[in-house]
Amino acid sequence: MPDISLEKVLFSYPGGVDVYPQPGLSLALESGVTALVGENGAGKTTLTKLLIGLLRPRSGDINVAGLDVSKTTVAAMAKTVGYTFQNPDDQLFERTVKAEVTFGPRVLKRPPADVDRGVAAAIKACGLAGKEDVHPHDLGLSERKWVAIASALASEPSVVVLDEPTLGQDYPSRQRLRELVMRLGSEGKIVLVVTHDMDFVGEACPKTVVLSHGAVRYAGPTSNAFGDRALLKEAGIEPLHVTGLAQAIGLRQCVNEAEFLATWRR
Amino acid sequence: MAGGLSLYQEGASLLHRAHPLTKGVFTLSVIALAFIVPSLYWILALALILLILVTVAGVLRRLIAVALALLLPIAVLLLAVQGFANPANHTVLFAIGPVVYYTEGLYIAAIAALRITCLVVATFLFSFTTRPADITEALMQRGLSPAMGYVVQSALQIIPQTLDMAGRIQDAQRARGLETEGSLPKRARAYLPLMLPLVLSSLVATQERAMALEVRGFGLPVKRVSRYEFVDSAVQRVTRWTLALAVPGAIIARLAGWK
Amino acid sequence: MSEPAVVFEDVGYAYEEAPREAVSDINLRIDAGEWVGVTGPTNAGKSTLCLLAMGLAPHFFGGKLRGKVTVLGTESRAIKVIERSTDVGLLFQNPFTQVSGARERVDEEVAFGPECHGVAPAEIEARVGEAMDLVGISALAARHPLDLSGGQLQRLALASLLAMRPKVLLLDEPTSQLDPAGTAAIFEVLSGLHQSGITIVMVEHRLETLCELCPRIVAMVTGRILADGAPQDVFNREVVQERVGLPVYTRLALSAPLPAPWPVRLSESAKAFGTPIA
Repeated sequence: MPDISLEKVLFSYPGGVDVYPQPGLSLALESGVTALVGENGAGKTTLTKLLIGLLRPRSGDINVAGLDVSKTTVAAMAKTVGYTFQNPDDQLFERTVKAEVTFGPRVLKRPPADVDRGVAAAIKACGLAGKEDVHPHDLGLSERKWVAIASALASEPSVVVLDEPTLGQDYPSRQRLRELVMRLGSEGKIVLVVTHDMDFVGEACPKTVVLSHGAVRYAGPTSNAFGDRALLKEAGIEPLHVTGLAQAIGLRQCVNEAEFLATWRR
Repeated sequence: MAGGLSLYQEGASLLHRAHPLTKGVFTLSVIALAFIVPSLYWILALALILLILVTVAGVLRRLIAVALALLLPIAVLLLAVQGFANPANHTVLFAIGPVVYYTEGLYIAAIAALRITCLVVATFLFSFTTRPADITEALMQRGLSPAMGYVVQSALQIIPQTLDMAGRIQDAQRARGLETEGSLPKRARAYLPLMLPLVLSSLVATQERAMALEVRGFGLPVKRVSRYEFVDSAVQRVTRWTLALAVPGAIIARLAGWK
Repeated sequence: MSEPAVVFEDVGYAYEEAPREAVSDINLRIDAGEWVGVTGPTNAGKSTLCLLAMGLAPHFFGGKLRGKVTVLGTESRAIKVIERSTDVGLLFQNPFTQVSGARERVDEEVAFGPECHGVAPAEIEARVGEAMDLVGISALAARHPLDLSGGQLQRLALASLLAMRPKVLLLDEPTSQLDPAGTAAIFEVLSGLHQSGITIVMVEHRLETLCELCPRIVAMVTGRILADGAPQDVFNREVVQERVGLPVYTRLALSAPLPAPWPVRLSESAKAFGTPIA
C-alpha cells in the first residue's frame, strides 16, 4: 500500500514565521480518501505544495509513495502525484478538452497505450464524454474545473490531491465528485481532498485531518472528527447539515446521510 | 499579494505637502538640467540642493540604500572605464605598476556619475514623497481624461498581479510534469504552456474588469468633483514656471557658450 | 400597487456567434423588496439572467435579445449600463477581478463608484463610511486592495456597490469562491439589506442555504425556468429534484421515507424527523 509520511517538517515563507509550530509537522496518510480541513491560513495548501516539492521545507522528511521528496524534482513527483489546483485557468492552454487532458501523460512520456487508456478513463469519470473537441474556454468555470481534474487523473497517479474541488460546483457535479473520489479511494489510491465543504467530507471522506494554526488537531476517522465543538469553532469549520439535524432531534452525532438514517430508524 | 508598485512613504514634510504638479515639474526640470549644465561645480550644486531636499523630506536613509544598490556599481564602473581608458587621457594621477589612472578620465567620470546620481535621486525623491494617486488626481483636475487617469493608476497594480498570476501558472504546470528549467529545448517547450494561460487569463480578467467598471458607472458624463484639495500657492506657481523656463534657458545658455 | 422591480417578458437571448439561445421564454416578475434565489445546473442561464437584468446583455456582449427586460420601470434596451448603475448593482463571482484596480486604499475603492456618479464630496465621505460599516470592513479602510483575502475583497466589492445606494442588487454566485467565514459574513450583510427593503436576486448553488434565506426560488435548467415559487413548493417537485437537485434535508426525508410534503429547511426537518415513524 502506498503511503505518505511527513516527519517534523518546518517551513516558513520568506520573511514570515513558521507555518507549522515546533517541533514541526508530523503526519501519516494511507490509501483511501482523507479530507484536509481547517481555516484559511492554517497551512493546508502549504502542506500540499510541500508534498509535491513546489515548496521545500527547512528541515524534516517528506516521503510520498516511497519517494524522498527532497531528492525529487517537481516534474518527477508528477508521475506519482496528480495535483489539481483551485483555479483551472492557471493551467488550461490547449485548444480542445482532449488535448488538455492528454498534456499531462504526454509530458510525463508515458507509453502511448497507457496515455490513451488514462485519457479515455479520465474523460469518462469527469463527465466530459462528448466534449472532447470543445475548446476549454467555451465551457463554464465548473466544467473547466473538471477538465483540470481529468488532466491530473489521466496519468493514472497513485496519489491524488484535490484543492477545493467543490467550490462553485452545481449539485450534479458534487454528486459526480463524491462518486469519483470514493472510487479512487477504493482503487487503493491515496486521495487528499482540501476542502471547506463539510457535507462532502462527511459523505465521501472516511478520514479527516483537522489543521489549526499549523498544528494537527485531529487525524482519524471522520465519524469522530466533529464531536468537539470547541475544536471545530477554533478551526473555522462549518457544521454539517446532517450533524445539525441529528443534534436538533437528540440523536447521537452522524456525519453522513446513511449514518443518520440508520441511527434514526433504530 | 504585495500591495501595488508604490514607493510612497508617509510623511508631513514640505515636499510631502507640496502640490503634485510642483513636484512633477521640479523633478523633470532637475533631470533635464542635470544633463544640460556644463561643469562639475554646477552639477555638484544641483546634487547638494537635492541632498538638502532629501533630508528635509526625511527619506535620507532609504535613499542611501538606493544609492548603494543602484548608483555605486555604476559609479565604480564609470570611474574605472574612463579613468583607465578614455582616449583623451594624458595627465597621470597615479599608477599601480603598469596600470595608469588619468585625471581627465576621473573628471569626465565624476561628471557623468553625478548627472546620473541627480537623475536617480530626483526620481526616487519624487516617488517617496508623492502618492501615485495624487499625480493622476492633480492631472485630472487640470483636464486629463478619467480614462487616461484610470490607465495610469491601474498600471501600478497590473504588474504585481500579473507576476503573481505567472507564478501560479508556473506552479500549476510544473505540478503536471512540465520541466521549466534545464536545457534550452526543454525551456522552449515550456513556453506555450506557461505563456498561453497567462495571456488567456489576462484577457478574461480584462473583460471582467471592464464589466465591473461599467457596473460602477465609469464613463458617465458627469462633472468630476474632486475630493482632494491640493495645497497650491502663488509661490508654488512661480516656482513651477521658473523651473520650467530654466530648462530652455539653460539650453540656450549652453549654445551661447556657457561653460 | 407599486411597480415591480424586475420584469422579464418572453425574454430570449443568444450570445454573439452562439448556436443556441442561452435563455429562452423567460417570464418573471419580481416585486420590490423580494429576495429571490436562482439556482440550477451549470449553463442553465443563471448568470445570463443577471447580465440581462443589468443590461450587460445585450449592451456589453452584443448578441440577440428577444422580448423585454424592464427594471425599475425602464427597459434595458433603452438605458446604458453605466446609467443603470445608479439604481442597480451586480456582484460577480470572482472577487479579484471586480476591484477597480486603480485605487490604493480600500476606502478610495469604495468611493470610486460614487465619484463616477458625480456625487458631492461630503456625501461621498458619508456613503463610504456607511457602506464599509454595513459590510464590516471599516477596520480595513487604509489597506491596499491587493493585500486582502478573497472574502474581504468580495465584501469590498459589495460595499463599493452599496455606496451607490442601489435599489436592486444582483448577485452572481457571490460566495462560491469564499471560505465558510467569508460566506457567512456576506449572507449576514444580505439579510440586513433585505430587511431594509432592497430587492435581491441571488444565484447560488448551495441549496440548503438558499432555502433558509430566500422566500422565493427560481430553478432554471438549460435556459428555461423550471420552477418558480416558495422553497418547499419548488423542491418537492420530482422534476426539480431530478434535474436541479435537492437540499440534504429533503433527500433524507425522501430516503427515510417520510410522507410528502418533504421538508427543505432544518426547522421543518427537525419537526418531521422528531416524530417517531409509525
